[in-house]
Amino acid sequence: MASSLATIESFVEGAPPGERHRADTDRPLRNLTDIKTLTVHEPSLVSELGPAFEKYNEEQLATVKLPGSSQQVVISSHNSLGDGRYFDVESSSSFAFDHATQSASDVQSYVLDGAQADLVKSTLKNLSTYVQEHYPNASYGVCPTENDTKVAIIIVANKYSPNNYWNGRWRSLYIFDPSSGSLEGSIKVDVHYYEDGNVRLLTNKPIASSVSSDTGAGICKEIATGEKKYQEELNRGFTSLSEGAFKSLRRQLPVTRQKIEWDRVASYRVGQDIGGGSSRR
Amino acid sequence: MAAVDPFDSALDLLRRLNPKHTSEHLNALIALAPDLTEDLLSSVDQPLAVRRCRQSGRDYLLCDYNRDGDSYRSPWSNEFDPPLQDTPASAGEEQSNAAGLPSEKVRRMEIRANEAFDLYRELYYEGGVSSVYFWNLDDGFAGVVLLKKVATPGTSSEGTWDSIHVFEAIDRARFTQEHDETDRDRAAAESDEQQIANIGKLVEDMELKMRNLLQEVYFGKAKDVVGDLRSVGSLSESARDREAQRDIIGSMKR
Repeated sequence: MASSLATIESFVEGAPPGERHRADTDRPLRNLTDIKTLTVHEPSLVSELGPAFEKYNEEQLATVKLPGSSQQVVISSHNSLGDGRYFDVESSSSFAFDHATQSASDVQSYVLDGAQADLVKSTLKNLSTYVQEHYPNASYGVCPTENDTKVAIIIVANKYSPNNYWNGRWRSLYIFDPSSGSLEGSIKVDVHYYEDGNVRLLTNKPIASSVSSDTGAGICKEIATGEKKYQEELNRGFTSLSEGAFKSLRRQLPVTRQKIEWDRVASYRVGQDIGGGSSRR
Repeated sequence: MAAVDPFDSALDLLRRLNPKHTSEHLNALIALAPDLTEDLLSSVDQPLAVRRCRQSGRDYLLCDYNRDGDSYRSPWSNEFDPPLQDTPASAGEEQSNAAGLPSEKVRRMEIRANEAFDLYRELYYEGGVSSVYFWNLDDGFAGVVLLKKVATPGTSSEGTWDSIHVFEAIDRARFTQEHDETDRDRAAAESDEQQIANIGKLVEDMELKMRNLLQEVYFGKAKDVVGDLRSVGSLSESARDREAQRDIIGSMKR
């Protein structure tokens, strides 16, 4: 049996996108409001959710506006400095991040140096162009990772429309290894549509490819190719879902392409016992 | 702050957690707030469980309406499995007995409804399991039509369809059937068929509506949202195209 803490942690982790569509207010996760109501008898439980919020924000690639800036920066395990601080290469700043309220404070100058610094900067430049070309509204980040031996590339696009009962999130995360030229990662799409229901699209596409030219342009070209291919695959999937898997569950109409003639069906087989057993005792 | 009903919070969470794991979430919520057990189990639909009828060898579906304690009634044999401790007395003509067996008249209709929906299941689901359960009301009867289909395991796609349709049929025609015995029997028989046909049409229309809603609206919406998140084509090119289109429309107006 899972502990109560594990249970409410799983409720935080399972929160759909768009829980906080107004990023400028410090309204907490809506799931948290419900969790608080359900644990009123044990209020201390909620105070133990810190690690769950951190995990949620880093996995969901939460975005935050730095004070005095209009651009969103991304939160991930790769740009973490520890102790709740994160850095952003493009704005050359580091900041404290409150995982419970998803707000940033205490911005300081952060200058990137090290073995991957040049590759990070050139990738960032190319990624910015690519993102503008294909994402109407996305945040992105590039940073050194794994002790400055590799480069992490992140794109996250959110679109929230709570008035129309839907929210969506696209997350791309890649790790480029300059020593082997390998580019590995995943694309995750999460769409929640909840008008009169609860419909969720959750996809996870692992990406494994290699980059021939060890440059920011080469990396971004490979990313662009892979993402285009995946989105086209996904669109085909919607069609085959309607025509294939969904149809194999339940047909839209019987093979005759006509609705059932119930007046005949209801009198059909009348008087016969059904199954193997007798209906009369 | 006004106190929020924990039951509402639980339902609110279930509307936003991954619907694929509703049963797990439901069990977690019950463990967290045991007071809500009864309310949650009666208001949250879970995937239907299947059991094989010992008498007929046919599969049937389990729900609260064919349950008595830990036993479930098969619509094919009318027997509970495991058998009930106290064997129920023979049901009266117009009312259910204590064990939840429908009256003889309603059971006759239930048998016909199971036959009719077995055919419906074959025509629409080409497999799967169906079960219909009826029970008596003071002024008529009520019932539930259950359908389940699991996509063939081992194929490229996985999926499950569960349908639960609950209805009430209020008997308004009873006073018109006060004729002699044979007449009444025939009137009752015709009325049974008519009732089943009515239920069938309702279920068929509702399922068609739901299926279209899922395919056109929900799947279509998910596809649109993905397109809103990322554009397959170049955004600057499509902006240029729109600009060019505006110019053409503008020049035609002049």
